[in-house]
Amino acid sequence: MSVNSDHSSVRKAWYFVTPAIAWTIAFFVIPFAFMVSVSLASRVGRQIVYSWDLGNYINFFSKSYFLKGLFVSLEITFLVTIISTLLAYPLAWIIAERVPKKWQRITLIMAILPFWTSYVVRSYSWLLVLSTNGVINNSLLQIGIISEPLPLANTTTATVIGFVHFFVMLLTLTIYSNLIQLSPNYKRASADLGANAFQTFWHVILPLTLPGIMVGAFLTFVLCIGDYITPQILGGNNELTLPQIIMMQLGRRADIPTAAALSIILMGVVTVAYLLCLRWLKMERT
Amino acid sequence: MIFKKHDNYTQYRFFPTTASIAFTIAIAGLNSTPLLAQEELNALVWCDHTDAALIEPFEKKNNVKVNLKEYEGTGAALSIISQSRPGDWDVLVIDGVDVPRAIDEGILGEIPSSALPTSDFFPEVVMKDNNTRNGRTYAVTEKYGYNTISFDKSKVDIADMKDMSKLWSGKYDGRIAIYDYYLPVIGLVGLSEGIDTNNVNTANMSVIKDKLLSLKKASKLVGDVVSSQTALATGEVDILVGGGEWVTAVLSAEKPNLDWVIPEQGGLRWSQSIGVMADSSKKDLALKFVQYITSPEGQAKLATSSCFWGMPANKKTEPLLTSAQKKALRWDNQADYLANSQLYPVPDAALDDLMQDNWTEMLQN
Amino acid sequence: MYSRLSNILCGTYFITIYSFIFLPVAVLVLYSFQDGSLPIPPFNGVTLKWYAEVFTDSKLMSALANSMIVAVLSSIIACLLGFCAAYALSRYRLPASAFQRVLITAPMTVSYLIIALGLLVLFNWMGIRLSLWTVGVGHVVINLPLCFAVIYASMGDHQKNIERAARDLGANNFQVMLLITAPMLMPSILAALFLSITFSWDEFIISFLLSRFDVTLPVEIWSLLRSGLNPKTNAIGSLVFLLSVGLLIILEIFVFRQRSPK
Repeated sequence: MSVNSDHSSVRKAWYFVTPAIAWTIAFFVIPFAFMVSVSLASRVGRQIVYSWDLGNYINFFSKSYFLKGLFVSLEITFLVTIISTLLAYPLAWIIAERVPKKWQRITLIMAILPFWTSYVVRSYSWLLVLSTNGVINNSLLQIGIISEPLPLANTTTATVIGFVHFFVMLLTLTIYSNLIQLSPNYKRASADLGANAFQTFWHVILPLTLPGIMVGAFLTFVLCIGDYITPQILGGNNELTLPQIIMMQLGRRADIPTAAALSIILMGVVTVAYLLCLRWLKMERT
Repeated sequence: MIFKKHDNYTQYRFFPTTASIAFTIAIAGLNSTPLLAQEELNALVWCDHTDAALIEPFEKKNNVKVNLKEYEGTGAALSIISQSRPGDWDVLVIDGVDVPRAIDEGILGEIPSSALPTSDFFPEVVMKDNNTRNGRTYAVTEKYGYNTISFDKSKVDIADMKDMSKLWSGKYDGRIAIYDYYLPVIGLVGLSEGIDTNNVNTANMSVIKDKLLSLKKASKLVGDVVSSQTALATGEVDILVGGGEWVTAVLSAEKPNLDWVIPEQGGLRWSQSIGVMADSSKKDLALKFVQYITSPEGQAKLATSSCFWGMPANKKTEPLLTSAQKKALRWDNQADYLANSQLYPVPDAALDDLMQDNWTEMLQN
Repeated sequence: MYSRLSNILCGTYFITIYSFIFLPVAVLVLYSFQDGSLPIPPFNGVTLKWYAEVFTDSKLMSALANSMIVAVLSSIIACLLGFCAAYALSRYRLPASAFQRVLITAPMTVSYLIIALGLLVLFNWMGIRLSLWTVGVGHVVINLPLCFAVIYASMGDHQKNIERAARDLGANNFQVMLLITAPMLMPSILAALFLSITFSWDEFIISFLLSRFDVTLPVEIWSLLRSGLNPKTNAIGSLVFLLSVGLLIILEIFVFRQRSPK
């Protein structure tokens, strides 16, 4: 790939790229550095005292509710990612393969539309749908599948359902965009070589769409583990996730150092997931 | 047009320059002070003050704009104040029991007691010990109410509700919600163990904590105002620990089956005080606001405002309330209730940390 | 062409998932017409009074306007910065360009809560008061990586040839960028803009932590809801939904139809 590399061109290029770099440094890197330094401080009374030690981090490992918060976040996120992927892939496949081409865009837009209602109001609607008098319980009772209402609302199950609702849509989009980019030649070649539809799918199509799945799954992981609203509204404060605990430290205890330390731990977890993803993708390529 | 010039060098700068200008505008915006068309008053309040019906008469009469920010608990309010600059806030609404702390930290400024109608108040809620110091008045009570046990009387045995120990009996497992504010609920649980709220200390907290944990096991959710109200109204739960008229009165028209009692072990009384911030630059306007809130007109609106209802501190509010409103507030039973309720526990920093710690542990288990 | 069984299975699955997706929205819209003070079952009857209340609620309306302004402004800035950076990094050989790419896209992997906290600490330290401007800054931070990634990914070699051809024909570099590159990339630029506006519009945590009195719509709804469930919030949710549907229909008729080949 040949690019201009003479001196004046390079200088001009710097003008173009500097604003974005400057913004990122000023409003992302520096705040992050601040957060790291504040996490090494502690709150004494209403002041922040810089003790430059790992006290908050040690505190994290010694308090059971912090550790449980991380565990609950990871548990929910893994569940949500797996369930959403399993539900989204068939849907993406149906839209890409079975829906006539001219209807595909409308179909996708229809899947996105519900998420243009306010996130907060939508979450409360889920609370109502899942409540003991809500639509789901009432229909199940009427059909006769259950004899007593299921305790769905205000539980971790409700949080998972609320998340899956959003991420099925997201994953459908990422997997779909991957599926339609595949050349039909793959399928033809595979059929020519004698594979039936299922074998073609399993050995050819599925591996080729793995990048799309990984991107969607990673996005799901990051967005889900850091989300505050869905667990707060749907979870009933029954099992707190790490973001909820972070917000509690901020809102109720004005404890910015602890909140900062917890946030950095959360970031560390996401980074580990990111690196694992990258490593997995590299392994796939070889 | 700009791209008809043929000077490459200047033209190269168009997009990046625009981008840099955008950057600069953003920075300038961050530092801008808005041109004020109207005078503004900034108040840090509980959610019951954000009712337009309460605020608009004052705004119109004095031609000001009242900016309100609500908080979820005294800790949150103090945290907001510590993150603000002097002059950011003019009026503060704070729980009566926390006023001494606010005076200690120099947050509240003195207000002339002659300007306040405290002689018209219910005597028990004037709370001179909290609102004044050394003869100087720093805040005045504006509203009070109770944290007790609310319930759906069509679903539970009312006699059981009068005895807090029945909550742990197993009869109501899975039908209880706990109000997510640690101070009153810890106080209530303490009362169920015979511990007065002003006797709660680090030693007996362990007893309270164990009872809290077992109460959590018997309950379905721990919720803020919205969640607990919704859960009670939809029938998701039948009992709300820490509820009171503030939950049920707002729903009294539509859900007449919701009720509340003060158990025989006692209940908790909350009270809100309102004061002027020490470093406010608009002390006169702030005082006018305080006077409006404590006047019968303001008190009537405050008592029945959105978010939660409560008894007005000013007795002279009575003629301005409808009989339905007075019934929902149990106006006529107040003497009885005032005698059987205790104020919130007032923990020092160490005890507060312990309480919040135990509360979080309870939430997680 | 496909077996009937597979068609039935696909159709059933399709309908089931779409019902799942639309379920809370249907409930939301239904209870915005609730004739009662709580948007909970039983459904009492139809009334439009909540919609009327939404329009007369000045705080809600100004929050709506604030959301639009913040979303559009921050998205434009993010797209501008992202476009410039993508152009520079793909067309010119700059030192440490890989590092610069990673730096610009880094915020995408960080939760919004952390970005908001970091900015809160920064603004506190600098003594900058919270406002819609601080919210806008936060939104640019989350949208810039997105804009950059989308535009950068679509800057391929085939465009270079066209640019080179244009240069051969005498256009200077600036004209190339404005008249050739930008229009060719218009789909991705618009996609980036659209995505940014969507993310910024409904974003809660950054708006919540970085604003003071002037708030965006999600924060105002959150405050409304702190006072108790209210069909008014259902009404505003439905309104936003209907507005988006309307906007999409208009776009579909006037923009997309023209672009697709007949």
